[in-house]
Amino acid sequence: MSPQRKQFLRQLTAHLVLIIVCALVLVPLVMVILASFRKGNFPPNALWLSLDQWTLDHWKYVLGIPYREVMNATSGETRLIQAQTPPLHWFFNSILVASLASLGIILLAGTAAYAFARLRFRFRGPTLTGLLILQMFPQVLALTAYYRILSYIGQRVPWIGLNTFPGLILIYLSGISINIWMIKGYFDTISISMEESARIDGASRFQTFFRILLPMSAPIFAVVFILSFIGMISEYPTASVVLQDSAVRTLAVGAYSLVGEQEKLWGHFSALAVLSGVPITIMFLLCQRFIIGGLTSGGAKE
Amino acid sequence: MNDGAVHITDLVKTYTDDRGRPTFTAVKKINLEIQNGEFMVLVGPSGCGKTTTLRMVAGLEKITSGTIAIGDRIVNDMEPKDRGIAMVFQNYALYPHMTIFNNMAFGLQLAKKKKDFIQDTVGRTSKALGLDQMLERKPQALSGGQRQRVALGRAIVRNPQVFLFDEPLSNLDAKMRVQMRSEISRLHSQLGNTMIYVTHDQVEAMTMGDRICVMKDGAIMQVADPLTLYRQPENLFVAGFIGSPPMNLLKGKIERRDGGLVFAETAEQNAVSVPLIGQVEALGSKLLDKPVIFGVRPEHLTEESKNGSHVPVASSVDIAEPMGSESLVYLKAGTGNLIARIHGEALYEMGQPLTVYVNMEKVLLFDSETEKVIR
Ligand SMILES: Nc1ncnc2c1ncn2[C@@H]1O[C@H](COP(=O)(O)OP(=O)(O)O)[C@@H](O)[C@H]1O
Ligand SMILES: [Mg+2]
Repeated sequence: MSPQRKQFLRQLTAHLVLIIVCALVLVPLVMVILASFRKGNFPPNALWLSLDQWTLDHWKYVLGIPYREVMNATSGETRLIQAQTPPLHWFFNSILVASLASLGIILLAGTAAYAFARLRFRFRGPTLTGLLILQMFPQVLALTAYYRILSYIGQRVPWIGLNTFPGLILIYLSGISINIWMIKGYFDTISISMEESARIDGASRFQTFFRILLPMSAPIFAVVFILSFIGMISEYPTASVVLQDSAVRTLAVGAYSLVGEQEKLWGHFSALAVLSGVPITIMFLLCQRFIIGGLTSGGAKE
Repeated sequence: MNDGAVHITDLVKTYTDDRGRPTFTAVKKINLEIQNGEFMVLVGPSGCGKTTTLRMVAGLEKITSGTIAIGDRIVNDMEPKDRGIAMVFQNYALYPHMTIFNNMAFGLQLAKKKKDFIQDTVGRTSKALGLDQMLERKPQALSGGQRQRVALGRAIVRNPQVFLFDEPLSNLDAKMRVQMRSEISRLHSQLGNTMIYVTHDQVEAMTMGDRICVMKDGAIMQVADPLTLYRQPENLFVAGFIGSPPMNLLKGKIERRDGGLVFAETAEQNAVSVPLIGQVEALGSKLLDKPVIFGVRPEHLTEESKNGSHVPVASSVDIAEPMGSESLVYLKAGTGNLIARIHGEALYEMGQPLTVYVNMEKVLLFDSETEKVIR
């Protein structure tokens, strides 16, 4: 075989592999997008829509815009449809919960990681290991416990009970040990001498944390924020137990309710699924500019 | 109040683990008096506790026992910012996300100084350091030497009583190091502040220090001005540490031979023996048959005999390193090696026999057991 031919074959194989991987990612996405524009409620199963199959009904439903649906094809009878709780509402619920909880996680995990990375105290090591071990049990296992706890709290402090966002956020905030580990790992790579220098300059611990360490750690906080945010936008089990009123549902819970036992509204579901990608994409683009290397370079030479 | 003297008394540092159990004693009950305005160098091999000592003065490390006073105030429990100190770190420790201006102004801003004052102070200091053109840059855009100068500027702006330096030049290349060395020395003579300077490099110590404190294993071996350290080391460690190449040290004992005293190396064969004359002879007469260590610096081994103070030792050349006006000659003599620093442009060949003359006025004798110099 000539070298050119060999080279060609090698490139061909590489491209084929890449094309297959791209297809694996793109095909389902295209199917879902098409299903959201397809007349009737069909599960995502087609890669092509003929012209007469297109409709905006599902998107109107999801966005809470009233539209007419044909009830009887022969008589041409129609009815006006508008969702009682427009799924768009769930969308904003999700953004609210995910943003607040992610912020809370950053604050809690960041300060905890600071303590583990920079302070010396009894049981520091065992606590750190303990956190990791605890995290190995899936949170879902504790769902019934969470339910009981929240309903108990809710009887006394109604705004943190079941069917409240604070209640859900509280549960989300309990699962941060992996984030503590991640942030601590990042802090460990930053030379402590800059903070010591700030201390000599007269900065308090809080000033040192917020004005020196935090700005240098922007990348890890961006990563933790975006990962938590994505996780919570799509989190189902906990949210479905805590949030049962239609008005307070999050996107994932709401979307699932569209494909329930009796009725499977695949078209609505698909539109909502596509919509849920929007905040994640936006948040990712926002965070991306913080996820850059070299933030600490020039400060301390190792 | 304006007194930058530092008094260190019975200072001990024992590191502890998370549970507070002692792990390692890095500083062992040291005492050191540093005068106001003095340039004091702490020098010693890596791990001898220099940094630990400096960090205790800075207030970054808790003191296990003993006291540190700056001026007439005991500072043991004082926050670093209240001690009247400024520190320059080995790794610069600049704030990477701040401009050079803010790096230097940070302390003043925290102290809530007036904007005009900060502008003025930072402006003046940066100008003196040649940094005024880069105040808006971030540290990343600066060279190593410039970064260390920013760190220096940040310290100067604080207007401290005492400057603390922890190996500030060790990250710079050789040329930059020499330049910064003289810059820091100049700074000291301009400002007149007390400076405590940590280094493991004895050349830096000798060239910069008013006085030098030589440390080993958490203890102080000797505190003296550079020339005294060089001429009159108090123990074997200082003798070997100060000077480059290091002092030649031979193990042996004083014996009486043919009516005179000689130092005889302890060896199965080929032992070097050096007749003692002058003051060493007087010293040696008290040490008859005692094990001693005989020390002579390479620069006190010469090729020509002079006015009766020199005695010959036969040897052969092992390796010679000609350096222009002088040569470092590694000699085989007795059981081991001697290094001689010989003036002149002569070239030496391997194996060539060479008689060197020991300048007996400069010879030191050390007690083998206590390693102390014998006087
Ligand atoms: N945080 C620490 N915990 C335990 N031992 C330490 C700690 N810091 C330094 N040491 C030990 O103390 C000794 C002195 O350290 P240091 O003062 O940094 O030495 P030097 O600056 O002279 O090289 C070293 O043996 C070092 O291993
Ligand atoms: Mg050190």
